[in-house]
Amino acid sequence: MSDLRHRAASLSPGFVPTAVLSILPVAAVLGIAMLAQLWLAPVLANAGADFFIKMGVDILVAMVLAISLTMVNGFTGQFSIGHAAFMAVGAYTAACIVYYGSYRFYGNANVQGGLVSSMVYGVRDVPWFAWADALFLGALLAGGLVAAGCGYLVGLPSLRLKGDYLAIVTLGFGEIVRVLVQSQTTEVLAEGASVTPDHLRMIPAWGSTLAVDDYITAEAIASAPVWVWPKYVGGALGFGGLPFYTSPFWVVLVAGLTLLVAFRIKSSSYGRAFLSIREDEIASEAMGVNVTAYKVRAFVVAAFFAGIAGGLFAHTVGVQLNPAELGFQKSFDIIIMVVLGGLGSISGAAIAAVIVTILPELLRTPDLLAASWPYGLGGVVLGAGLIGVLRSGGRSTTLGRAVLFAGLLVAGLGLLALWAKGSEVDLGRYRMVFFALALIAMMILRPQGLLGVGEIWDRSFWADLVARRSKGGVS
Amino acid sequence: MSERRAILEVVGVNKSFGGLKAVQDFNLTIREGDLQGLIGPNGAGKTTCFNLLTGVYTPDTGEVRVSGHRVEGARPWRIARLGVARTFQNIRLFGALSVLDNARLGCHLRVGHSFAGMVLRSVLHRSEERAIRDRAMDLLGVLGLADRAHEEAKSLPYGDQRKLEIARALATEPRVLLLDEPAAGMNPQEKVELRGLIHRIRERFKVAILLIEHDMGVVMNLCEHITVLNFGQTIAAGSPGVVQNDPRVIEAYLGTE
Ligand SMILES: Nc1ncnc2c1ncn2[C@@H]1O[C@H](COP(=O)(O)OP(=O)(O)OP(=O)(O)O)[C@@H](O)[C@H]1O
Ligand SMILES: [Mg+2]
Repeated sequence: MSDLRHRAASLSPGFVPTAVLSILPVAAVLGIAMLAQLWLAPVLANAGADFFIKMGVDILVAMVLAISLTMVNGFTGQFSIGHAAFMAVGAYTAACIVYYGSYRFYGNANVQGGLVSSMVYGVRDVPWFAWADALFLGALLAGGLVAAGCGYLVGLPSLRLKGDYLAIVTLGFGEIVRVLVQSQTTEVLAEGASVTPDHLRMIPAWGSTLAVDDYITAEAIASAPVWVWPKYVGGALGFGGLPFYTSPFWVVLVAGLTLLVAFRIKSSSYGRAFLSIREDEIASEAMGVNVTAYKVRAFVVAAFFAGIAGGLFAHTVGVQLNPAELGFQKSFDIIIMVVLGGLGSISGAAIAAVIVTILPELLRTPDLLAASWPYGLGGVVLGAGLIGVLRSGGRSTTLGRAVLFAGLLVAGLGLLALWAKGSEVDLGRYRMVFFALALIAMMILRPQGLLGVGEIWDRSFWADLVARRSKGGVS
Repeated sequence: MSERRAILEVVGVNKSFGGLKAVQDFNLTIREGDLQGLIGPNGAGKTTCFNLLTGVYTPDTGEVRVSGHRVEGARPWRIARLGVARTFQNIRLFGALSVLDNARLGCHLRVGHSFAGMVLRSVLHRSEERAIRDRAMDLLGVLGLADRAHEEAKSLPYGDQRKLEIARALATEPRVLLLDEPAAGMNPQEKVELRGLIHRIRERFKVAILLIEHDMGVVMNLCEHITVLNFGQTIAAGSPGVVQNDPRVIEAYLGTE
């Protein structure tokens, strides 16, 4: 018996405290999700701020994607540029299950869920949880599992390929998924003049030859074998008419659990094994880490969460699930989040997900930005003052510089928005320019990203902010 | 008295890179409690031998056995699990991780909880994480690095980085420890300390040690048995006294007129 096992036996914390500590965070996430759905969302909706609910949902879905990609690109140091493909796989899997499942069970594709999936905030006369919610939850999990299976397949080449070569494989996988979905039939629509969007993906009667008027009834869907469904997902035109189940409850729940799992991984022996691979593969393997197996495992776990995020995305209000939207562009958005946040930082990726999701919205509706430039200037002044005070106290000026920089950013964007408003330029169309600029600035000012591999909850992070300056140099 | 058990046995191993015969007909037996040296001029093939023993390279011919298991062609992580740990000549720490995390990583191959158990935070996970921290801190204490546990590994001075590599290797609970030039880059004072340290490590962790070293003071004082390589060939093997006076060794090191 190894010394480790020997010591562990005498250090066991006991079952009850362990169970409490292990379950408590999960219960907390569940509680927060309930609160978001039953209190926060109605309050916002009553205040006419539905926009913020929608924003919040988008942000949290982006967060799940960014955190999951962090496990591959950040923890194990592989470079995947096809993460949106796992999202697409999860999205279409979940969509098929929910859409056709709804037809099977309810005869239509309307929302049949309880309060947890409700998009009508403040209602009280529905049950908490209905069977349709279970259908949605099951679909999310199935999407996650199918995506994880794909993650395994894509992870396999990483046994042999490194760096650029692996990146190309993931890119290829992303394109394959997109093209496969796009090439599914849309002919049902093309023929009929009077076809409504709801007809779009209906299955031709099983065994019958396809006729224009021969759209399928709920009974026919119920009798068609399951494997026929994926063929009728709208092809290049998109999979519309999906019921909107993605409520604040579900996104908060999924994002919270993703955060929790990522944190648990990173702070464990397995997490250190992941990080060691990124730091030095040869040393890692010499210390007994089965590098190839761990690389694949990172892909599988990341793909699982990306798949669930896809399921959430597919059932969001106002989203028409479309293969073109889940292509390389989307993968790139996720990479930007991970790189900005600092490759390997969970909290960094989460913060970057907020920024990257909000910024285009702000640019599109410049009023808010335009109004904020005085605050930016205030930040500049405050930051400059802070730097002076910190420096004279012989302390690290990091905090002051951060405030100064943020102020400059807000002021600059605000003035830009002001100008754009005056000359009626749509800044939203230039969002990729802004991201590119942000990346360039990041590479120059802070190449390790916002947080490097660290986390905002690390003690050393806060200690660094207020530390005494080690070297009495100028600067 | 029964003979001490062999942990590592190398029989007739050869390795070429293209036309270069890096190691030829290499033989070595390391038994429990051994402290052996492997020396030779630059490019003699010493590091290549380590790479052959740890699975980084596969021998062209010959046998490598760890505790009786044949390991030619086995992946390095498997060999590590059988109880062979090493340090690297060109330091390979996990630079962005803390000193403590470097040492803790070494414990990973001995954990018994599963990935799922980790995500669910099982009892075994928690107790093993505590034990890992405990062990790692103990090891850092032995190597004199406990004060720097929370610093980034890459911020350590050179000599401390070498020590951290040893701590990390010891964390794997090895039966044999391969040290590739542990004294390189150390000052005379540190070298003297290192000698004491290696003795203490052998006693405390009951681990056999094979040492590559250029510093003759270190090797001759420490090792009970020395193997000398030159151009991939073993030109001498035996006690320090014998090896030191071997004409072929003197020739290899000093060259002929
Ligand atoms: N992967 C490789 N491919 C080609 N040649 C190699 C490879 N590894 C080592 N060699 C060659 O094998 C020979 C032995 O190298 P090795 O690193 O084992 O020497 P060494 O005894 O450790 O030397 P030093 O004292 O300088 O560390 C050298 O000539 C080296 O160039
Ligand atoms: Mg060498």
